[in-house]
Amino acid sequence: MFGKVLVANRGEIALRIIRTCRELGIRTVAVYSTADEDSAAVRAADEAVRIGPGPAKSSYLYPPAIIEAALRTGAQAVHPGYGFLSEDPDFAEICVQNGLVFIGPRPEVLARLGDKVGAREIMRRAGLPVVPGSERAVSTAAEVQATAKRIGLPVIVKAAMGGGGKGMAVVRRWEDLLPVFRTTRATARSAFGDDRVYLERFWESARHVEVQVLADEHGNVVHLGERDCSVQRRHQKLVEESPAPGLPPALRAWLLDATVQAAAAVGYTGAGTFEFLVNGDEAAFIEVNCRIQVEHPVTEAVTGIDLVAEQLRVAAGLPLTVSQDSVRPKGVAVECRINAEDPDHDFRPCPGELTEFVAPGGPFVRVDTHAHPGWRISPYYDSLLAKVIVWAPDRAAALARMGRALEELRIAGPGVRTNRKLLMDLLSDPDFRAGTHDTSLLRA
Amino acid sequence: MNEARESTADDDDPGAVAVRHTMEVLNRSLADTLRAASRPPARARVAYGPASIEVEWPVSTVDGVVPVAPAPAEPEPDEGLVAVTAPLVGTFYHAPEPGAEPFVAVGAEVAAGQQVGIVEAMKLMNPVVAATPGRVARVVAADNEPVEYGQPLILLTPLAEG
Repeated sequence: MFGKVLVANRGEIALRIIRTCRELGIRTVAVYSTADEDSAAVRAADEAVRIGPGPAKSSYLYPPAIIEAALRTGAQAVHPGYGFLSEDPDFAEICVQNGLVFIGPRPEVLARLGDKVGAREIMRRAGLPVVPGSERAVSTAAEVQATAKRIGLPVIVKAAMGGGGKGMAVVRRWEDLLPVFRTTRATARSAFGDDRVYLERFWESARHVEVQVLADEHGNVVHLGERDCSVQRRHQKLVEESPAPGLPPALRAWLLDATVQAAAAVGYTGAGTFEFLVNGDEAAFIEVNCRIQVEHPVTEAVTGIDLVAEQLRVAAGLPLTVSQDSVRPKGVAVECRINAEDPDHDFRPCPGELTEFVAPGGPFVRVDTHAHPGWRISPYYDSLLAKVIVWAPDRAAALARMGRALEELRIAGPGVRTNRKLLMDLLSDPDFRAGTHDTSLLRA
Repeated sequence: MNEARESTADDDDPGAVAVRHTMEVLNRSLADTLRAASRPPARARVAYGPASIEVEWPVSTVDGVVPVAPAPAEPEPDEGLVAVTAPLVGTFYHAPEPGAEPFVAVGAEVAAGQQVGIVEAMKLMNPVVAATPGRVARVVAADNEPVEYGQPLILLTPLAEG
């Protein structure tokens, strides 16, 4: 196992990774920007290196600074968390070139799966059904129109290198097709440095179901069950749960099995998530997330498996501690993402200083957060403030527990607003309570 | 999770007028921001595409906005001095190459934009330049010392421009 690991991230996930490292006796190095001085991760780590100014492109997205920090502190491995450089094959390659272990899939696997349009083709060949759409990137107006005609409206235009809910737009009317294609391409170029886009049939009412896998370098590939992430606002997940409510047992068994086979087929290693859209008895692959995910605690709660600990083991060349037979999910876990967003202004992020932050507690409640009174929510990064995760033997009890936990949560500060009320309202939504909701639930 | 905010308008974009208008609004609010500030920014960026302005303020002048790693304090003599800080994390070098004369010595006058050192990061030599003219009062970071972003390297007694 590693003696020292550098955590190339910030916020709650940096803290979460540091915590597992400490439990495993691994020393940690936090890196931080000037906007994150004195953050919870910096305090929790054994060492910290200031790597740049607030804007992520000069700090958390700047490989030279991170590599320098790792080399000077003698870290052996780099855990990229989620977002930032976590799925960047070039960064993974640079780590390797500098004698550092990148905690994630191999660079070539990252490159193949990071290209979403290429990944569709790989998965189709590996035997997974894919959502009807373009077989390759579409680059001309004629191609876009022909493809949209073939698959039918509505379609969703997606950036090939997109992720995190960014760089995608739905088209419902023919006259919107080309303008949306052009703007999505421009967004893709600026946000991901690659303007290739592709089309997929847009399913108005589908469930977003994803399968968590773990794979090591010894040929072991296991799934840790599925998560349902159908509660989304503008393609951003808000509530995640496991198991997926109402998923037909036969479809579930097939999805889990097919995912394990596909992961093995692409030589996947580490923790990864295969995302699907489910429509009735039909499921279709959308993409692979080659990293730990925001919602991983839901899976940890039902399986009792520490995903970050397994990531570290795999990266160190050790076998997984779990076999498929030993994975026995139990009960129901639900996660709510608490974002610093203004519900009165279309949920735009609202930075500011927290004067009050009281996390919920009590039985079977986990809160992953970097927030504390006095913490200044920075305008440079995403608005995720805390994740509240609850577990209960069944879904009704889990939702009741989540309601209780959200009532306990207190967040205040000048100008700081959160989506807490939206989440509380959601808990009493009849469709959501019945587990019959789909991704259209919060569509305005 | 991080929006890169760069964007360019398509050349064939019929909304070129809208672009120009957006840029005008952005430029105006940038000007307002700068007018309201007490010191000049280290860098400013105006973007179009999800419209955006980014202003980066200098991290550490010695009057100290950001407390920097335990630079041995000596607060009194530093009064009025301006720090040249590390532009990125790396290793600080006083001289262009081992054994060579250092870029500057205590007492030397430096002009704005003059190179005063090097920070090596991933085998790339990044020049450290003085942002404002001054006389070298103290070299606070040792040669071959690992430095963090924003760490004071050299303290200057400010001199009038030109």
